[in-house]
Amino acid sequence: MELSDRKFKVVVIGGSAGSFSVVSKILSQLDPGFPVPLVLCLHRLKHVRSGLVEGLNLKSRIPVVEPFDKEKLKPGVAMLAPSNYHLFVEFDSTISLSTEEVYNHSRPAIDFAYSSAAYSFREKTLGIILTGANKDGAKGLKSIKDKKGYTIVQDPTTCDVETMPQSALKLFEPDQVLTPDEIVKVLNSLVD
Amino acid sequence: MNSCGVMTYKEYLRVLKEHSPYDFSDYSDNSIYRRIDKVMRDQELTLEQLSERTRRDKEFVEQVVEAITVNTTELFRDPAVWKYLYEKHLPSLAANNFINIWHAGCSTGQEVYSLLILFNELKLLDKVRVFATDISRNALEVAKKGVYQNQIDRGCIENFNSVFDDKTGDNTRFLKYFDVDEQQDRIGVKPFLKEKIKFIRHDLVKNDVPFYNKVDVVFCRNVLIYFNVKLQNRIVQRFHEGLYNNGILILGAHEGLSGFFKTKFDRQGPVYKKSNVFHLRY
Repeated sequence: MELSDRKFKVVVIGGSAGSFSVVSKILSQLDPGFPVPLVLCLHRLKHVRSGLVEGLNLKSRIPVVEPFDKEKLKPGVAMLAPSNYHLFVEFDSTISLSTEEVYNHSRPAIDFAYSSAAYSFREKTLGIILTGANKDGAKGLKSIKDKKGYTIVQDPTTCDVETMPQSALKLFEPDQVLTPDEIVKVLNSLVD
Repeated sequence: MNSCGVMTYKEYLRVLKEHSPYDFSDYSDNSIYRRIDKVMRDQELTLEQLSERTRRDKEFVEQVVEAITVNTTELFRDPAVWKYLYEKHLPSLAANNFINIWHAGCSTGQEVYSLLILFNELKLLDKVRVFATDISRNALEVAKKGVYQNQIDRGCIENFNSVFDDKTGDNTRFLKYFDVDEQQDRIGVKPFLKEKIKFIRHDLVKNDVPFYNKVDVVFCRNVLIYFNVKLQNRIVQRFHEGLYNNGILILGAHEGLSGFFKTKFDRQGPVYKKSNVFHLRY
């Protein structure tokens, strides 16, 4: 089955150390008619509250916003988890935020974004994990796989820091291990 | 039961509602489910066993409620917001005889004390009366004691000084409000702040308000995010009714009001001011 036939309801991208340039690259090459809501969960410095969304918007071909609580996901819009909040994807395609405990030393925790999307949209979830120096995201991405969603791990040889993709690979076998260029290709193949 | 004959979280929440005073059915799905999941893992219980104990053991229910409610808070979280309140907004309350405040969902109290410190710096503390409410017994106990661990490490003094643009570096201002034990990384709120606050146990899901005064300020940051839109609206309606005209509602940095309520409050930065617009009740 073609990936575009799977009618994904959300794409969740998680990343940490070194991921800014990769995310920026992906967004700058994305088809402006990208048909699926995109969620970005990136580890960021707690004290730097602004700048990231502006930085990503500079090159992105789709709008990047930091959502308010209960904001609805929109096709072709990237929602960036706000600093110092966890982000959950809900059944009704809204975003819930949370200030509960730091998880994997992180808030936002990528595991929460992945596993909530998997829980809400099951096989209609596409998860991508990028470069990072932390094990956050591995379990969550596996939960997407367990629900028959589609999972992509950035090829560790193309990562600034390979800990995060490696932890995912240790835990389960993703559908694809891809370079950033190949990730862009897969995403753009979702456009009809 | 679902099609596989397995109990679902929703059904557990219904059991909890029937056998206790607590109703979590309008909480945001994902976060409540995950927290119940955590209780199950910590207690090594299945949902059926959890329900069984919930039906017959009241003290256990209290433990579950403590475990599934979120109690994270910090002193001066988001310094920019506090700075704005201090410089732009709170000074206008000086004309009032009394300043009544409802801190809804105060958790362990750090932000109630943060707010009182702003009023003291503005020399308005004498006029202030605070009702601080929360669902969690344990959190309220901590709030009343006003002793906090590991706050210095998390930058509470830096946050504090940045709110007041205090660059002296000697922390005199901070020490007016807190007894500090740096070795233990422990700070204790001074009694003159603590005695201003009336702590009341209260569940925001319930329709009552646990005091009779109208208020000038409703402070409710990062609490509504745990509720679905329906419940959020019900609570905001109650805040609206409880506020004097021109009273203000302060929400978290990424919380907003839904369409209808946008017309009943004017937004000014992080502050929502009750507008004089008259609406028939929908």
